[in-house]
Amino acid sequence: MSIIQQVTSASLSDNWRTINIDALDPDSSTNFDTSTLRPSLAPVSESEIRSIGQQVRQLLRGGDAEGALRGALESAPYGGDDSVKEIHLGTVVEVLQGIRASEISGILGRIWGSEGGSEVVDCLMKYLYKGMAASATVGKTPSRGSTLTPQSTGAGFSQMGGRPGAQNESSGAAMSVLLSWHEKVVDVAGLGSVNRSMTDWRKV
Amino acid sequence: MSQSLRPYLQCVRSSLTSALCLSNFASQTSERHNVPEIEAQTSPEVLLNPLTVARNENERVLIEPSINSVRISIKIKQADEIEHILVHKFTRFLTQRAEAFFILRRKPIKGYDISFLITNYHTEEMLKHKLVDFIIQFMEEVDKEISEMKLFLNARARFVAESFLTPFD
Repeated sequence: MSIIQQVTSASLSDNWRTINIDALDPDSSTNFDTSTLRPSLAPVSESEIRSIGQQVRQLLRGGDAEGALRGALESAPYGGDDSVKEIHLGTVVEVLQGIRASEISGILGRIWGSEGGSEVVDCLMKYLYKGMAASATVGKTPSRGSTLTPQSTGAGFSQMGGRPGAQNESSGAAMSVLLSWHEKVVDVAGLGSVNRSMTDWRKV
Repeated sequence: MSQSLRPYLQCVRSSLTSALCLSNFASQTSERHNVPEIEAQTSPEVLLNPLTVARNENERVLIEPSINSVRISIKIKQADEIEHILVHKFTRFLTQRAEAFFILRRKPIKGYDISFLITNYHTEEMLKHKLVDFIIQFMEEVDKEISEMKLFLNARARFVAESFLTPFD
């Protein structure tokens, strides 16, 4: 029997033995207000983030990859809501994919050495993890469908039907870009960068 | 090792090494208890941001760190139904023997095939880099194991079918 985390009038009368009483106690550590740990951040609107995205794309098209990456990461919408963050994630991933693998080390080295560079690189690390998490969950729906299709045909153990890995080469390619960026960032900024992206309450 | 596997494992290795900074932390809800906070989820302030490392959408690792425990969940590559069955049997075999592995979780979390739970007691008793090596080696071996089992299975099925149909020849 699972512990009931949210209490409603129905669950109160039904099986009150399984209610998580800590959730009802205002002094319990379960109800610790994590908003006290978060720094107050200015909210970012959707139109603002779109215009930043446009500027970044223009820089990228103009050949200034370093400026584009810097601009995208410095204007990270920490205070925005989920849809704003999603839009900016798309911008950052686009910039990352637009930079050639041979240029990564040079660009990262210059950013890391410059003023406020460690903050920018930490922000990049957060986006790398978010990028991998986002494409893992977005891609889940089509792969779930494709594994179901061969089962429903009843053709037995067909090896022809389900090759979800093969038809989603593009997601694998996007992921390998993020993975190679991750490796370079760890080379430049060290493991501390991973730790800071884990512990920071300012989420991208 | 294939070209895209190396950066994937390297990324998991560096993420894990960072995540495995654990300290002893007693439960804040019940006195004289010491539970893995990532499992108990009773204190939101000691849970850190989860990290996902993905090679493609079918192969990914979720690392959920907290102050005194880290939960690592692995989704193993499953290209077709046979591999799906083999992975299920294989992980079932392992999780039934979870005591022998110390850090293995008895039940994988939703959406993943196998989960590990490393607490501060494990990092105190065992060497941290060896723990990381163990996870990395497991990830390397399991792909090899599954594809090997699949080849064996196909070869055996072919042999059985052949000898079954010989009398009708």
